[in-house]
Amino acid sequence: MNAMVDRTPPRPIRDLYWLRVATTGLGFLIFGVFGSLLGILVVPLLLILPGKAATRRVRVRRMLRLAFRAFAGFMHHSGAISYSMAGVERLGRPGQLIIANHPSLIDIVLLIAHVPGAGCVVKRAAWRNPSMVLAVSAAGYVPNAPTDRMIERAAALLAAGESLIMFPEGTRTVPDHERHFHRGAASVALRSARIVTPVYIRVEPPALMKGVPWYRIPVPRAHYALRVGTDIDLAPFRDQPLPIASRALNDCFIRTYAQATGTH
Amino acid sequence: MHDKDTVFKELRATLVELFELDPARITPETHLYDDLQIDSIDAIDLMERLHRQTGRKVATERFRSVRTVSDLVDTVHQLVNQA
Repeated sequence: MNAMVDRTPPRPIRDLYWLRVATTGLGFLIFGVFGSLLGILVVPLLLILPGKAATRRVRVRRMLRLAFRAFAGFMHHSGAISYSMAGVERLGRPGQLIIANHPSLIDIVLLIAHVPGAGCVVKRAAWRNPSMVLAVSAAGYVPNAPTDRMIERAAALLAAGESLIMFPEGTRTVPDHERHFHRGAASVALRSARIVTPVYIRVEPPALMKGVPWYRIPVPRAHYALRVGTDIDLAPFRDQPLPIASRALNDCFIRTYAQATGTH
Repeated sequence: MHDKDTVFKELRATLVELFELDPARITPETHLYDDLQIDSIDAIDLMERLHRQTGRKVATERFRSVRTVSDLVDTVHQLVNQA
């Protein structure tokens, strides 16, 4: 009996290439149009509805999460990409700092789509974009900058028991380059995180990288694998002055990612 | 009133403790970033420390122009001596 043999034909290498170019473009078009509508019309409505600032923030974050989930669903079901998540149920705990690498344009969307209620440190350009500025401000997201204000705001969110997503690489990374983590995340972690949890994101083959136009998609379909790693113990870093400890923790982040993703 | 020499000595002690540096490496001409690898994130930790020591809050903006230990001494000297 050879019932165990997998008889599904191997996926064709080109795997509906032109259809994927079209659905990728359509995905971004829908994201752009609906995103702007949400940012310009729906967010103000959510802000007018009664409730305290904290309630409104929760509301806006929920809306963003649902919108990102819809986008992720569209990209997945239309076949533009495929993605898998492992261990997401461990994300979104109180005071949890979630760090992730950032190899592609939409990994941040996939992550926010699956973490309930989390804050996020987002690039400053979002505050200069008319369709995004209201959403990111109302969601209480923190603009990224190597300043005391960013560090203090990020640390305050964690201290208040929220969970927070940070991308220590700062910007999308070019594959095969030496990994560089900004120490801001390590510094925020040591100030007030209760838990630090790494998320390893792997895009195979690499897609939607920095400096590559969206329509230059890889020939085989890109698969996004998001894997939640084991929590990083902060105890060994606690009894040193902050500048020393944050360097050591940052090195620990880099080692952890190198081990988990097999790159350096 | 603190004179600049006292400020320098106190700052050196702080830098030694916070960054685990050899005191001999810290002279007024020492460049914070090039020589000691003290970057913008460290500057935040340093400012918090100075805030606790002097009771005065230092704005990040005031540190923009700080390059050397002597710049830092001048900034802190101004800070502690202002009414």
